[in-house]
Amino acid sequence: MRLPVVVLLVLIPVSASAAEDGEKLFTICRACHGLDPSDQGLPGPNLSGLIGRKVGGDPAFDYSPVLRKANADGLRWDAERLNRYLADPEQMFPGLWMSFGGVEDPADRAALVRFLSDPNSR
Amino acid sequence: MNRRKFLTASAAFLATPALLRHAHAQEGPFRVKYFPLAAGSGPHDVAPAADGAVWVSGQRSGTLGRLDARDGSYEQIHLGKGAAPHGVVVGPDGAPWITEGGQNAIARVDPGDHKVQLFRLPEKEAYANLNTGVFDNKGIYWFTGQSGIYGRLDPKSGDMTVFKSPRSRGTYGITATPKGDIWYASLAGNHIARIDPATGKATVVEPPTPNQGARRVWSDSKGHIWVSEWNSGNVSVHDPADGSWKAWKLPGAGPRAYAVYVDEKDKVWLTDFGANAIVRFDPATEKFDSFPSDMSGANVRQLAGRAGEVWGAESGTNRLVRVQTAA
Repeated sequence: MRLPVVVLLVLIPVSASAAEDGEKLFTICRACHGLDPSDQGLPGPNLSGLIGRKVGGDPAFDYSPVLRKANADGLRWDAERLNRYLADPEQMFPGLWMSFGGVEDPADRAALVRFLSDPNSR
Repeated sequence: MNRRKFLTASAAFLATPALLRHAHAQEGPFRVKYFPLAAGSGPHDVAPAADGAVWVSGQRSGTLGRLDARDGSYEQIHLGKGAAPHGVVVGPDGAPWITEGGQNAIARVDPGDHKVQLFRLPEKEAYANLNTGVFDNKGIYWFTGQSGIYGRLDPKSGDMTVFKSPRSRGTYGITATPKGDIWYASLAGNHIARIDPATGKATVVEPPTPNQGARRVWSDSKGHIWVSEWNSGNVSVHDPADGSWKAWKLPGAGPRAYAVYVDEKDKVWLTDFGANAIVRFDPATEKFDSFPSDMSGANVRQLAGRAGEVWGAESGTNRLVRVQTAA
C-alpha cells in the first residue's frame, strides 16, 4: 500500500503557498540542518539531495547506531519513507539521537516533503 | 592470588551489577532504579519537585507526566492539540513550567488541578523551536528557542519579551547562577552566552575547544558554568570570575555528552550517548564513573535532581531513571 501514497505526493500540484508552507515548516529544522551543501558542521546532517540518498548518508556526519544500521542495510530516502519518518521519527528508527516528536498534520508533512524534495530548496 | 581465585574474583566482579561495581570508590553506594512510563510518550526532560513528584515532558505524546516514586503512581496531562513539550522545570510557585514547542508557548500546569495555562510567543516568533527554561532568583522565567531566540516571562504579569540570539540558531540549554546571572548554551553556535537579567543583552563566551557543540549548561554553587559538549565529548567548566576554562574528555571511544547537571555537593553528572550511560564526574579528583543503562538506546537527554537523587528520562526506552546518591 505504499505506492498510492507516493503517487499522491507526486501528482499533487505544488502551489506557491504549499512551497511556502514547507519552507516555513523547515524553520524549526534549521536549528540543526542545512540545505545548502556548503552548510556543514551543524548538529544534524546536511539535507541537500536527500531524496534518493541512503539513510544516514551524509559522509561528514556521525550518525546514531540505528541510522548507521539503516545505512548498512541499504535503506534509501524516497518521498513515501520521508513522509512516514516525519510523522514519528522515533517509531521508524527507535533510539535515534535526533529529538523531534514529528509532524502530526498530513498536509504539513506533505508540504515539508515537497520542500525537501526540491533540489532548489535552500 | 592463584589463577582459580583470580577467575572466581573476576566472575564475581562481572556478575555484580555495573551500577554497584562503580560505587565502591565513591560516596555512594549509588542505587539505581528505573520507572516505566507510558509507551510512546517520548520522555525528554525531568523536574523533581520538593513535594516528591517528578514531572516529565512527553515530547512524542504531547503530555506532561507526573510520577510519584513513593507509591509508583503515574499520570499524564495532555497539554493541547499539537503539543510537543521539550523542557520542564519547577517554579517558585511549585508548578511545572514547560517549553511547549508544539504550541509555541510557555505552559504552566497547576500542580493541584492540572489546569494548563499557555503563554504564547508573539506571532512574529512562530517556529521558535522552544527548548529549555529556568527561573532566576527574582522569579523571572528565562527560556531558549533553538531557532535562535531567548526570552523572559514574568509569571505574575504575563509580560513576555523575546530577544534574538547574537549568533542566531542553536540556543539550547539554560541555567541560573546563585547570584542570579543567566547563561545559555548554543549547540549550533558552539558557544555559551551570559544574559544580563537587567537588560536582556547576551554576551558570547567562546569555549577553548573549536566546534565543541555546547548543548547544555548548569551552574555549580560557586557560579561556575559546567558545559556538556556534544561534538567534542567533553565536559568543560567556565569560571566567569577570571574567564578561565578547563575541559575533560568523557571516558570511552566515542563520547557524546548530551546533558549536564551539578548536584548539591557540586558533583557533575552527564549523559553520554556514545556509551549509553549516565556519567558522574568528581571535580575534586577529576575521575569519572560510568553508569550504563541496562537497556540499549536509552538516550537520556537531560538530568536534574534534588538532595540525594539524580533523575533522568530515557527517551529511547520510555523510562525514568533515578540514581540515589546518598547512602
